[in-house]
Amino acid sequence: MNKSLSGYRILVVEDEMMNLAMLEDILVDAGCQSVAVAATIDQAMALIDGRVFDAAMLDIKLKGKNSYAVADALAARGVPFVFATGNSVRDIGERYENRPVLRKPFKAERLVEALTALLPRR
Amino acid sequence: MPERTDKSNNQKDAESNVQGFQEKLGPFVVAAETTRMAMVFTDAREAGNPIIFANDSFLSLTGYAREEVLGQPFNFMMAHAADAIALAQIETEFEGSSKVASEIRYRRKNGSAFWSALFVSPVRDENGHIVQYFASLVDLTTHKEEETQARRLIDELNHRVKNTLSTVQSIVRQALRFYTDPKDIRDAIESRLLALSRSHDLLARENWKSASLRDVIDDALEPFNVTDGRARRVVIKGEDIRLSPQTALALGIGFNELATNAVKYGAFSNEAGSVLVEWKTVSSPEKSRLRLHWQEKNGPPVLRPSRKGFGSRMIEQGLARELEGSVDIDYRSKGVVCTIIIPMPQSDFNE
Repeated sequence: MNKSLSGYRILVVEDEMMNLAMLEDILVDAGCQSVAVAATIDQAMALIDGRVFDAAMLDIKLKGKNSYAVADALAARGVPFVFATGNSVRDIGERYENRPVLRKPFKAERLVEALTALLPRR
Repeated sequence: MPERTDKSNNQKDAESNVQGFQEKLGPFVVAAETTRMAMVFTDAREAGNPIIFANDSFLSLTGYAREEVLGQPFNFMMAHAADAIALAQIETEFEGSSKVASEIRYRRKNGSAFWSALFVSPVRDENGHIVQYFASLVDLTTHKEEETQARRLIDELNHRVKNTLSTVQSIVRQALRFYTDPKDIRDAIESRLLALSRSHDLLARENWKSASLRDVIDDALEPFNVTDGRARRVVIKGEDIRLSPQTALALGIGFNELATNAVKYGAFSNEAGSVLVEWKTVSSPEKSRLRLHWQEKNGPPVLRPSRKGFGSRMIEQGLARELEGSVDIDYRSKGVVCTIIIPMPQSDFNE
């Protein structure tokens, strides 16, 4: 697998433990310097407050609730992010319409590409 | 509310015409007046199709008094007076060119909106000229609510299917990561797919609202044939509580992993071993927590695994993260002890 995320610090917010483990593997394999994971809005907010991230992947729904609070916190700190969703139709609020979206299930490469596209060219 | 207008002479004539056919067509008019379908007649010769007759059902559907309705243009109740699509639909109904009833959003006197199907038929005089229109409205409020509910359920199902496929993807990837022998890979995938499927069955039985902790444990242990036939091998103690679907799925995976491990290396791998599953709630003034214990005994001596497997990763990292708690697996030589401490499942299920 390509190491295009090598050296970056990535945050993954996803509420399903089996999926979270896979995403973590994908990102570690892609060379990330660190992968922080959160399964709830509170965990994600605490991580965003305490650490610096280069980019993030954010599931739109966490335990049945919209994760927009997390999206806003990331945006406020200038952390670029890609949404992930289990819905096949557009289900994201208008103010996020320019954010990229991954539809589950997706190939590992798609996640790496989506995050790479958010990062500054080196 | 529409302004009361002084009635034009035409309106007065039209209303008295209605009075005329009320006398001539007695039983039909009684039927129109008393049917549960909301109906109005309008004067086709006047601009805006003013209403010249409204039955009781129409008045109770809309909340207006008869005098407030008579003389009003037919479209006076539209929820959005300038809604071009609805106006066009209504016009199509009046032209008689509509194949299906139009669904229009109207507003009652008290301001509340309702959906209604609109059917319009012309009433002609002896010469075939349209003199009146007969319009009936069917309240679609309940129908629309059911439609919304059905839509919501389909969206929810779709969401769940996609998430489940993603979970399957993760199971496959991890099985390939942790094992090299094809048989191990196949077993790892199969047992987890079946565990996932059993959790879905359990939740489906209760319409995906909640599940009982005891059922989650019974279902997770069932394939290991340790719940009924060999009941003494498992002791389950604790006051049953309700879990959210997500917590039930996560704990289902967790107990399946513990049991899988016990079959391979622990208390279910010999004839003498047994497992105690016990839980209680621990309350402090700030929060209540659920403390679950999985305790194996009389199995072969336990060796700490040299590297973490698929299962222990799921339990120690996955469960702890997803349920916002702590999970500890202690490989004591006399038997594995797993302690799971999670916030007390939300009380909507347990009140």
